[in-house]
Amino acid sequence: MDGDVPGHSADADREMTRLWRTWRTVYELLADRGYEVSDKELQISLDDFRETYSDPLGFPDRTKMKIQARPTESMKTKYTPLPNKSNPNPQPDCGTIYVDFCPDASGVGTKQVRAFNHLVDESNYHTGIFITQTPISPSAVRLLSGVPGRICEHFQEQDLLVNITRHELVPKHVLLSPEEKLRLLERYRLKESQLPRMQVSDPVARYLGLRRGQVVKIIRKSETAGRYASYRWVI
Amino acid sequence: MTTPSGPPKPALKTSLPSAFAATNAQQPKPSYPELSQEQQEKYLSARPGATPHHLGVALQHAHQIQAQKDAEDLILDHILNLLEIPSSPTADPAAPSTEDAQAFKSVMAPFRPSDYDNLILERNYNQQCGYVLCPHQHRKEDAGTGSSFHFKWGAKGSGPGGRGRSMDIVSRDKIEKWCSDECAERALYIRVQLSEQPVWERRADDMRGKQIVLLEEARAKKQAKSAAPTSHSQARKDVADKMQELKIQDPERARELALERGDTSAALRDGRVDFQIRENQQGSRRPVTTPQRRPEDTTGGSIEGYVPKDRRDQRTADHEDEDVLDQI
Repeated sequence: MDGDVPGHSADADREMTRLWRTWRTVYELLADRGYEVSDKELQISLDDFRETYSDPLGFPDRTKMKIQARPTESMKTKYTPLPNKSNPNPQPDCGTIYVDFCPDASGVGTKQVRAFNHLVDESNYHTGIFITQTPISPSAVRLLSGVPGRICEHFQEQDLLVNITRHELVPKHVLLSPEEKLRLLERYRLKESQLPRMQVSDPVARYLGLRRGQVVKIIRKSETAGRYASYRWVI
Repeated sequence: MTTPSGPPKPALKTSLPSAFAATNAQQPKPSYPELSQEQQEKYLSARPGATPHHLGVALQHAHQIQAQKDAEDLILDHILNLLEIPSSPTADPAAPSTEDAQAFKSVMAPFRPSDYDNLILERNYNQQCGYVLCPHQHRKEDAGTGSSFHFKWGAKGSGPGGRGRSMDIVSRDKIEKWCSDECAERALYIRVQLSEQPVWERRADDMRGKQIVLLEEARAKKQAKSAAPTSHSQARKDVADKMQELKIQDPERARELALERGDTSAALRDGRVDFQIRENQQGSRRPVTTPQRRPEDTTGGSIEGYVPKDRRDQRTADHEDEDVLDQI
């Protein structure tokens, strides 16, 4: 490997490896959320990744790193609200997702975020994920969340180095569809406000892209019962 | 803080419906749409036990939150606009053009110091000096040694005891915010004038943050002031005049108070609590007499409802006697 790409510095190698791990986590994230992702994309090897996304000097070229994915049918049903009188034929509230890696190494502010927002709006993506190397400024965070009708999320590369949901202490989170949620509330004769809660800013909620008002089922291992399910209302 | 020329605040504060009725009448039309009759009925029918008063309170809180969001959006817009200032690349931060200075000062009113810090950060990310009226780039120290602190030497003779030089250790990001020490001073002079209170909680007469003075202007004013000092007797006379003007039940102050308490919603026109003043006359109606002796007082009566055993036996015996007599 060193034979065909000579002169790569250790720095470039380290950065490439880190970015490769982030890249894989992003694909796992998309798959866990229910987007169409192929196995080949999910299990890209470091060599393949290096070949595709590095510049001549061996450093990663983030401008090439853009991902688009479409939701699967099962995800669409999960995101379709229940039909009611005023809306007898509801459309799924999800669509194509777009992931962008910001090439700027530091000082990511409103300028870059505005460009990203513009791109998401222009290309009519439903959701956008903006991944930067450094934290973005507070006003940029506000700007990112303020796109009407679209959902823009932000992650730092280092947050995605490891996939937190694969950790043994993180239980499995399953998003309930509106119908399942209704059944759960009927079964236990609850109002949704009587469920335990979880914040939108919770790391797992951020990973799964949960929205306010959704309910997740959390499945834990239990020594006495085998499996134990609990539910959280996302606020 | 109020300006020193304003009248002193009364210590006792009461907010009466009559006081803020006037304020309500003056209120401008809100930007959000009013609820139609139909919507109101829909809301009330979905919630059994809810009254229009509940709806009014819910709406008032919703409007407050909306006002907060609007204010935050406004500040964000201002930050984005201030990245474009100064308009000319050759502007002098010490003597800015009047338009730029005016634009800068006029939008600073809703800012809090934390918002101002965001603005500085945003300008630095944009490769500009943190001071809004400065066209230069911010400083960039060599990151060679990876040190995050910087030694700053003062002028000769500024050290302890007038010997040597004073030394400050300053963190690098603090230095790199500005293009020069002068700009740092100018920018921080603005920062201390801003009000800590969020704009949606400020009082109408809160002048803090509304009259921003640039450092150069303040210096010029100070020099002019020291040239012509005001007489003390005049100041004393002013205070005496103000004291004369003080009065209780000033409708102006009552309106201000209603504003401060947030009693300005149309839904709460009658106040948050419905109260009527009624004089208590019960006690004064009957003339006072000495307590009369009641029959049970001879045996000592009960102790908080408990009658001791021997006394109770005695009493039941009495009752039985009576019953027998009745029957006969």
